[in-house]
Amino acid sequence: MDVPNLEYDKILTDILGRKKFLVIGKNVIRTDALDKALGKARYTADYIPRDTSILRIFRSSMAHSKIKSIDISEAIKIPGVEAVYTGADVTGNNQIGYALPDQPFLNIEKVHYVGDPIALIVAKDEYAAAEAMDSIHVDYDPLPVYLDIDASLDENAIDIHEGGNIAVVTKIRKGDVEKGFKEADVEIEDTYWSPYQDHVYIETEAAYAVPDGSSKVTVISNGQSPFLCREKVAHVLGWDLNQVQIIQALTGGAFGGKDDQGPLVTAYAAFAATKLGKPVAHVWNREESLAYSNKRFPARITYRSGANKSGKVTAVEVDIILECGAYANRSPFWLWRQTAHAAGPYEVENCSVDGRAVYTNKVYGGSFRGFGDLALHFAVEQQMDKLAYELDMDPIDFRLKNVLVEGSRTTCDQVLDHSVGIKECLEGVRDASEWMKHRTPVWDGKKVRGYGVGLAYHGISTSRSTPDWSAASLLLNQDGTINYRTGIVEIGQGSPFGHIKIVSEITGIPVNKIIIDLPDTDSTLNAKPTHGSRGLMMGGTAAAKAALMLRESMVKCAAELFDIPEDKVELRDNEAYDKDNPDTSIPIKELAEEIYLRGYDPGAYGYFKAPKRFFDPETGLGVNYSVYTFAATVAEVEVDTETGETQVTRIWPAMDCGRAIDPMIIEGQVEGAISQGLGFTLMENIEINNKGQILNPNFTDYVIPSSLDTPEIEPCIIVEKPYKYGAFGAKGVGEPAIISIVPTIANAIYHATGRRFSSLPIRPWTMHKALKEGQI
Amino acid sequence: MNDLDQAKPIIGGTDLIVAIRQAVCSPSHIIDINGIPELNYIKEEGGFIKIGATTTHSQVAGNPLTASTPALYDAVSRIGGPQIRNRGTVTGNIVNASPAADSACPLIVHDAEVEVRSVEATNIIPIEDLFVGPKINCLEPNELVTEIRIPKPPTGSSSAYKRIGRRKAFTLSIVSAAVYLQIEGSICVDAGVAYGSVSTTPLRVPEVEELLRGRELTEENIIEASEVVKEYVKPLTDVRGTAEYRLDMCPVLMRRALQTTLERIRWVR
Repeated sequence: MDVPNLEYDKILTDILGRKKFLVIGKNVIRTDALDKALGKARYTADYIPRDTSILRIFRSSMAHSKIKSIDISEAIKIPGVEAVYTGADVTGNNQIGYALPDQPFLNIEKVHYVGDPIALIVAKDEYAAAEAMDSIHVDYDPLPVYLDIDASLDENAIDIHEGGNIAVVTKIRKGDVEKGFKEADVEIEDTYWSPYQDHVYIETEAAYAVPDGSSKVTVISNGQSPFLCREKVAHVLGWDLNQVQIIQALTGGAFGGKDDQGPLVTAYAAFAATKLGKPVAHVWNREESLAYSNKRFPARITYRSGANKSGKVTAVEVDIILECGAYANRSPFWLWRQTAHAAGPYEVENCSVDGRAVYTNKVYGGSFRGFGDLALHFAVEQQMDKLAYELDMDPIDFRLKNVLVEGSRTTCDQVLDHSVGIKECLEGVRDASEWMKHRTPVWDGKKVRGYGVGLAYHGISTSRSTPDWSAASLLLNQDGTINYRTGIVEIGQGSPFGHIKIVSEITGIPVNKIIIDLPDTDSTLNAKPTHGSRGLMMGGTAAAKAALMLRESMVKCAAELFDIPEDKVELRDNEAYDKDNPDTSIPIKELAEEIYLRGYDPGAYGYFKAPKRFFDPETGLGVNYSVYTFAATVAEVEVDTETGETQVTRIWPAMDCGRAIDPMIIEGQVEGAISQGLGFTLMENIEINNKGQILNPNFTDYVIPSSLDTPEIEPCIIVEKPYKYGAFGAKGVGEPAIISIVPTIANAIYHATGRRFSSLPIRPWTMHKALKEGQI
Repeated sequence: MNDLDQAKPIIGGTDLIVAIRQAVCSPSHIIDINGIPELNYIKEEGGFIKIGATTTHSQVAGNPLTASTPALYDAVSRIGGPQIRNRGTVTGNIVNASPAADSACPLIVHDAEVEVRSVEATNIIPIEDLFVGPKINCLEPNELVTEIRIPKPPTGSSSAYKRIGRRKAFTLSIVSAAVYLQIEGSICVDAGVAYGSVSTTPLRVPEVEELLRGRELTEENIIEASEVVKEYVKPLTDVRGTAEYRLDMCPVLMRRALQTTLERIRWVR
C-alpha cells in the first residue's frame, strides 16, 4: 500500500492547535438555506429564457426489437418543428455506455427497452413537439422480450447485447467455506429479492445548452459531476474537453440518479444545440423521469450462512444476481460493491461469493443511494437475525459477537486498522431504545408492536483500484472574502457547505464571508463526481489542503506585519492576531489587502489523492475502500393484523461518521434516508406489464411516503472514530444512512408478527396474505 | 354547453386537467363555472343540507353542518392534501365517477341526491344513478350537476367512512367503506352501506342494509352482516391492490365503520 500523503485528522488539529473547534462539530445555518426556503434559489430550468426551443426524446415503444427503418419525413414538415435528429446525425461517437460499450446515444439498429431513445425532436413549443412525436414512424422487427433474469438466463434466450446476457461476473474466495459450514451448528439459507426504486428527486432532469460559435458549447444542467457531463458531451460531439463548458446549477435532489442521467441529458441538449446552432432547453416531465430514467438495480441474493453454538458466524456462501435492465451502466461497480460487502459488517473467516449482472429488456438500473448495499444488507441482516433466533440468542448479543472491530478483516480480507465504530453504534441504539425491555411483542386490540435491529457498513468513495482524488480552489479577495470553487455539487445534501466550514476553521474567515461558486468546468478544478458518499470526505479534504495553503500566506503576511514568529499567529473570528499579545491584531479585511500589496499568494488550490487500493481479481481479495462508515438502527413497528398495514412508529439511528462536521446536516441525511428506506420497504414499486411497459409512471400510483408515514426519529447517536486521511477525520454519511433502515424494519416486522419477508415491498396485501396463511 | 358538444365544465380541475394531460379526455372547450357565485354554498334548507357545485372539499370540511354527516366529513377532510382540498370540489369528485371517489360512498349512505340542470330541464336524481361505470357518469353533454342535497339526518343517526390507502394520506384508497345508521332504543331502524374500489362504480349493498335493519347491533350481528358483504362485491386486482385483499378488507372496514358509527351515536346521546 502506498504511503498516504498526510494524516489530515491530526495535522489539522496539530497546526491549528485548538482544543475546541470554531465551527467544526457545531450546527451552523447553511448559507444557502434562506434562499431555498424563500424559493429564490435558482435551479436549471430557472435559467431558461422564454421561447427557447425545446428538445424532446422520441423513444421506443417496443421492449426488444430490431429497427428496420426510421421515417422522420412527416415529422420535420410539421410547422414549429425545427429539427429531428437520429443516430445517423451523430458525427462524434454514438456509443455512450458507462462501463461497457453497450448503450447507443440514439438507437439505430435495435431497441432494448420501452423508452430507448431513437430520435431527438427540436421544436418551437410543446404542441409542435407532441405532434412530431406522433409523426415519426419506426418499422420494427420484434425480438423475444425478456422481462426477468430467469428468462434472460434461459439457455434458449437470444443475446440482448453482443457477448451474451451476463454483462459481468464477480467472485470472492476467502478461507475455506466447506470447513466453515462443518464447524457450524446451525445453518440458514434463503433467497432475497429487492426490486427497482425510483429516486423521485423533486427536480426532474434538465439541461439548457447554448452554442458559442461553431466550436464551443455551454450547458447549464443538473448532474452529479460537471466533469462527467463535459466528458460525455465532448465524446458525443467528438470534441476536446475545453470546447465544452458545463455549469452545474443548484440541484433539487439526485440520490445517484443524476450521476447517470445528468451526463446524458446534458449531452442530448448540447448535441441538438450545436447541430441547430441555437439554444435548446431539455426538461423532463415527471412521467418521463419515472418511466425512463435509471432506477435502483434490482437484485436476487441467495444467502447461506452458518454459526456455531457460541454465536460465531463460521461461513457465508452468497450468490448475487443483479438485474441490469437494458444496459450494464454501473452494474459492474454495483455488483462489485455487493460482492465486497457480502458478509456484512461482521468478521467471517470463510466466505464464498459469486455475482452475475444480467441484462433484461426493462429500464436500466444505475446509481442510487446505498449502491448495492441496500439489497445486500436486506439479505445479510435478516440472515443474522434468523441465526440469532435459531441459536436462541438475543439478536443484538449475537451481532456483538461478530461485528468488525479494529484489526478485523472484511469479506475481501481487508484489515481495518482504524476508524471502526460499529460496536459503539450498536450498543448506542440498544441502550437508547431500551432494547431489553422490548423483547416481547405488545398487543393493542388487533395491532401488534415489535422491535427490530439492523446494521450497515459502506465503503466510502470508489472501489477497487479506481483512482480516487479530489480538488478545490480558493481565491481571497482584497476585502477579505473568499470565492470557493469545488467540483463537488450541491444537490441538497450540503457537502459544499461542509467544505466552507473546513475552510473557515482553517482560515478564521466566517462562513458568511465565503461564497460557493457554481461549479463551472471552465474555471473549477476536477473534483471527480459527487457520489459514493465522497463529497465531504474527498472534496472537503481537498478544500482543507487549499485552505492550508491560503493560511500559509495569511500567517506569513501577519507575522511580517506583527514582526513575530509565524507560529505565534492565530487566525479566528475574522481577524489575525498575536497569540501572546491578542491586542496586536488586524481584521482579515485589512490583512487581505496587505497580502496583495506584499506579494503573498491570495489564491490557493488543493489536490488530494486517496490512499491507493488494490485487489486480486482471482480471489477478489485486497484493499477495496480506504475507509468504511458504520450505522446501526433500531425500529419499532406497529402492524394492524386485520388490514396488514404496517406503520413504523419510532426509529433510533446511530452512525460512526468519523467526525461530525455539522450534526444538523447529518440529521438531514438520516431523516431523509429513513423516509426513503421506509418507502422502499413498505410502498414503492415499479409496475411493468408483459410488454415491458411501466404502468405507474406518476405520483398517483408510484407511492412514496408522506410526512404522516414518517416515524418519530430519535436524535442520531454520533460515534466519532476519525478517518486518518480525511479532513478532521470525517467520513461520508448520505448512503450509510439508508442501508440499515430496510432490514431493521423487516426484522421488527418479524418480531411483531412472526413473519419473514424475503421480497420487497411489504405492502398491506402482502402482509395480510402472510398473516392469513397461519394465525399468530 | 348547449351548443358545444365537446365542451367540459371545469371547477377545481384536479381530475380534469390530469385527464387532459394524459390525453384520456380531449375537450374542444372547457367552461369555467367558478365565476358563478350562486353555485358556491353549503347550507341547510327545506330539510336538506345543500352543497353547491363549486364548493370545495375544504369549504365542506370546514362547515359545522357536516357534523350531522360525519362520514362525509371523514372523507372530504382527508381527501388528497391541502392544495387538492382547496381546489377540488365534492361535485367534481362525484361527477368524475371514479370507483375510488372518497366522497361518493358517504353521500350514497346518506341517501344524497343531485340536481342535474340543462337549458331544457332540472332533474333531481339519486346519487347512485350518477355512476354508470369507471369514470363514466350518466350526464348528457349539455347537463351540469348544480347541487348535491343530503336529507338532514334524524336524531339517533350517525355515519362513518373508513379507508385503506397505500400510505397515510394523499393517496387513492385501495378499498373504502361508508356506513350510516339510525338507532332507536337498541334497534337499528335504518342503515346504509357502500363500498369504494370494489366494483366499476361506488357500490351500495342493499342486501346488507336490509340485514341490519330491525336488528340489535350486537357484536355477533355485526360480524354476521359484515361477512355477508363478501357475496355482493367483485373487486379486481390492479396496481393498487389485489382482489383477494380487497375482498377480505370489506368485512373489516364495515365492522370498523359500524363500530365508529355506534360510538358516535352514543357520544351524541
